[in-house]
Amino acid sequence: MATNVTRVRHPSYSSQIWHGFLGLLVLLGLYAFYLEYFKGHYFTGLTDVTPWGLYIAGFMFFLGISAGSTIVGLMVHGFGREDYRPLATRAIVVSLVCLSASMLFIMVHLGSIPRALLVPWVWRNPTSLLVYKSLSYYIFALLLLANLYYSIRIAKGQATVRDTAIAKWLSIGAAVYALTALIGADALLFAVVKAREFWNNPLLPPHYGVVALVSGTAMMVLIGVASGWFSRRRLVNNATLSHMGALLAFFIAITGFMDVLDLLIYTYSNEVIGGEARHFLTGSHLPISAVQVLGYSVAFVVLLFPKGRRTPWLAVAAVCALAAVAAYRYNLTTVGVEVQLYSFQQHVHYFPSWTEVSLSLGIAALTMLAYSILTGFLTEGERQGTTQ
Amino acid sequence: MARYGMVIEIDKCLGCRACMEACKVENNTPQGHFWMYVFRLEEGEFPNVRQTFMPRSCMHCDNPPCVQVCPTQARFKRTDGLVLTDFDRCIGCQYCSVACPYGVNYLNSRKPSDNYYLDWTEARVKSAEGNVPPYDNPDLNRKHKGNGRRIAGGGHYKGVIEKCTFCVQRLDKGLEPACANACPVDALHFGDLDDPESEISKLLGRRRSFRLKEDLNTQPKVHYVGATAPSSKAREIEAVKGRV
Repeated sequence: MATNVTRVRHPSYSSQIWHGFLGLLVLLGLYAFYLEYFKGHYFTGLTDVTPWGLYIAGFMFFLGISAGSTIVGLMVHGFGREDYRPLATRAIVVSLVCLSASMLFIMVHLGSIPRALLVPWVWRNPTSLLVYKSLSYYIFALLLLANLYYSIRIAKGQATVRDTAIAKWLSIGAAVYALTALIGADALLFAVVKAREFWNNPLLPPHYGVVALVSGTAMMVLIGVASGWFSRRRLVNNATLSHMGALLAFFIAITGFMDVLDLLIYTYSNEVIGGEARHFLTGSHLPISAVQVLGYSVAFVVLLFPKGRRTPWLAVAAVCALAAVAAYRYNLTTVGVEVQLYSFQQHVHYFPSWTEVSLSLGIAALTMLAYSILTGFLTEGERQGTTQ
Repeated sequence: MARYGMVIEIDKCLGCRACMEACKVENNTPQGHFWMYVFRLEEGEFPNVRQTFMPRSCMHCDNPPCVQVCPTQARFKRTDGLVLTDFDRCIGCQYCSVACPYGVNYLNSRKPSDNYYLDWTEARVKSAEGNVPPYDNPDLNRKHKGNGRRIAGGGHYKGVIEKCTFCVQRLDKGLEPACANACPVDALHFGDLDDPESEISKLLGRRRSFRLKEDLNTQPKVHYVGATAPSSKAREIEAVKGRV
């Protein structure tokens, strides 16, 4: 008679502390949400002069990671890099939880959440890009869910040849869709606004796409490195991590080049009311701009060296790149609305309130918790399979 | 069908802001919301300083960017040219605020009852024994002609965007907007831009005019006469208040 012995894995002490800390942040976020939802956006730092702020920046940041992490699926199925395969399911989970986080950021920004759920199904304006953007969310979520199903089947060794073929085309489709329709619709929301000279720039959609690739690749690098730190075995070997580091450096180089182009365009702008470059270089946004420039620079320099593409330097580079992307998203949103509509108006500086910061941290903590729980659950069979 | 618009004679404006007060009283707008706002500007250095006043309402553009970007069609343009908001449909995304180059949109960031200048609740009014006027304009809650949308007045719900309606509730009664009605020097003129016999058409024919940010092709229907557009050297005397 066969006996099945299941080994119960108890979470480590440090893991319990970490999850408890995340849980506290979620509770803080819930309290901030309660204040804002029931008493109004008065509790935020947003005003009628600066109507978009931290929530929109958070939405863009997480949407970028969601789109960018599809690179793993593209590497496995599009470029035949089988060494990336252990990260495939995790990359899809990252995409899903980050997509959910970006939707949460949008929801808490809105004045009426119940009404917003009717878009685009009941209420839609064909000339509004927001309608297509909300539709693109649903399509991407469906693509990811289908992709996740087949990825788990493959990881557990249950996939047929047909399943593998479907998984291949779903992965390639999700990556192409994410980096064009999803991110494109998001960037166009800003790029078409003629009232805000800072955003009204045809370079914005491609720039968005590259920044998404930076954040997605950096996040997957972090997960690849962390798997070696927190479990008995690494998901990917040093050569694969090094390859991911080189990819990250390549994407950072492109986005750095586009940042310089942006800055030159703003500096040479004839608009008297512009001054975005001044905001970056000397104004109230200087600290955030410094994070962006230093983050990209440090990450790029570290990744240039073969030693930098190994742990722990690889993790340092990934964290720097993610910080730089967060700074870019924040600057893009807030400088756009802070620039005066009339030349005679005085400059207004947006600063997020404690409720905005708390709610944003709460959403980020919830995202990490969700990732942790989902990967533990969805990759269980995969782990057993590889151990045996 | 009329195409409503406004002509503002800047050289007549005293900067008294009676138009702002009239708008607030007529439309019951919450604190910090100025559907009509008068910029007080100065230019030059002492002793050669010139002061000008520039009233700014919604421009009710012929090509309104806010209508284009609104995801729910809560912001719409009526056949008579008024750009209005359906308060029962707005989701408060504030895309209109971002897309509007004139800064005329206001979000109800608190419950209206928490955000009026006076406490209008029934108990409070009763306890004031007549000292607080129990004013509530019934026209603001009426659904208006066209497709029966709730489009007039301010402070209906938390989380929705509001802006100048050219006092649609008064227009439907054949009256002019409260700001134009209240101006002591008759600097604000309202009428049909398509009617060559209207006062505003004649004014525009007689005097040189400009519109704000014409280069953006929004085709605003508020015209200014009696001065040139504020130069890049003009400065606002007071700080902009996004929230009061």
